[in-house]
Amino acid sequence: MTNRTYPRPMVYVLVWLALLVLLAVTVSSAFLPLGWANTPLNLAVSVTQAALVMLFSMHLRSAHPLIKIIAVIGFVGIAIMIILTLFDVLTR
Amino acid sequence: MADALAAHAPQFDDAEQQRTASNLGIWIFLATEILFFGVLFAAYAITRVRFPDAFAAASRLTNLPLAGTNTAVLLTSSLTMALGVHAAQHGARRAVVGWLSLTVALGCAFLAIKAVEYRLDYLEHLVPTLDFRYAGPQADQVELFFYMYFFITAVHGLHVLIGIGCIATIAVMAARNAFSPDYFTPIDVTGLYWHLVDVIWLFVFPILYLISRS
Repeated sequence: MTNRTYPRPMVYVLVWLALLVLLAVTVSSAFLPLGWANTPLNLAVSVTQAALVMLFSMHLRSAHPLIKIIAVIGFVGIAIMIILTLFDVLTR
Repeated sequence: MADALAAHAPQFDDAEQQRTASNLGIWIFLATEILFFGVLFAAYAITRVRFPDAFAAASRLTNLPLAGTNTAVLLTSSLTMALGVHAAQHGARRAVVGWLSLTVALGCAFLAIKAVEYRLDYLEHLVPTLDFRYAGPQADQVELFFYMYFFITAVHGLHVLIGIGCIATIAVMAARNAFSPDYFTPIDVTGLYWHLVDVIWLFVFPILYLISRS
């Protein structure tokens, strides 16, 4: 097991700080009258936060390729489900 | 190295393969969890697209200060969990128990704040079926938002509760010296589950609390 390397704890602290900054960004952006752009902005922040947690805290960056594929499949599944469902609702 | 070889079950070639297998297993479970919440998000997307104004009005009635605080609490619990896993990787038993206990405490704080929030929602007559009163336009659609709000947050809260139970269990196991740097799979996979519950909240929070505050 000597060849196994782990991230340094400072990485988790930096991720945590970035997550808190992004939380402040997303909350304060909601108070700006940006019209339709508010929601995409909030979701973009959420995706960034989720990516930080999954890549660093959940060690996806150094994970086995098979595990990376499984992780992506979950989100692709959600995207297909929501987008195809909205195709129906939005084109009635 | 002899210890490392002894640390894996007979069906695996080595500890590394065993670790990958258990990680693959929890990730498949997490993918099903993502899809499980995905159904709720899809239902939310459909109703919000149909009733955007009602959802914006309803979102303004949710308690942003408490929910924002809760988000910070959950993000911090993710940090303490990651540090717990880090301590387990290096076999620091007391640090593992400490970080895991702190994670349990933060998880409980999240649920306590959520409970206060539910109580305030109840006092403001925002609980569908039980006591829902809304004077503005599109009251039925606003009520629909609150059905979603309570269902999504309650299902997420249940996941937090299960996570607290799992983390408390492995904290006790760690205190009894059940883990080593070669074997800490339960801490590893529980950590992954806890982070995912955090990730899901990162999406639940903006879609319920931040629709329109300006």
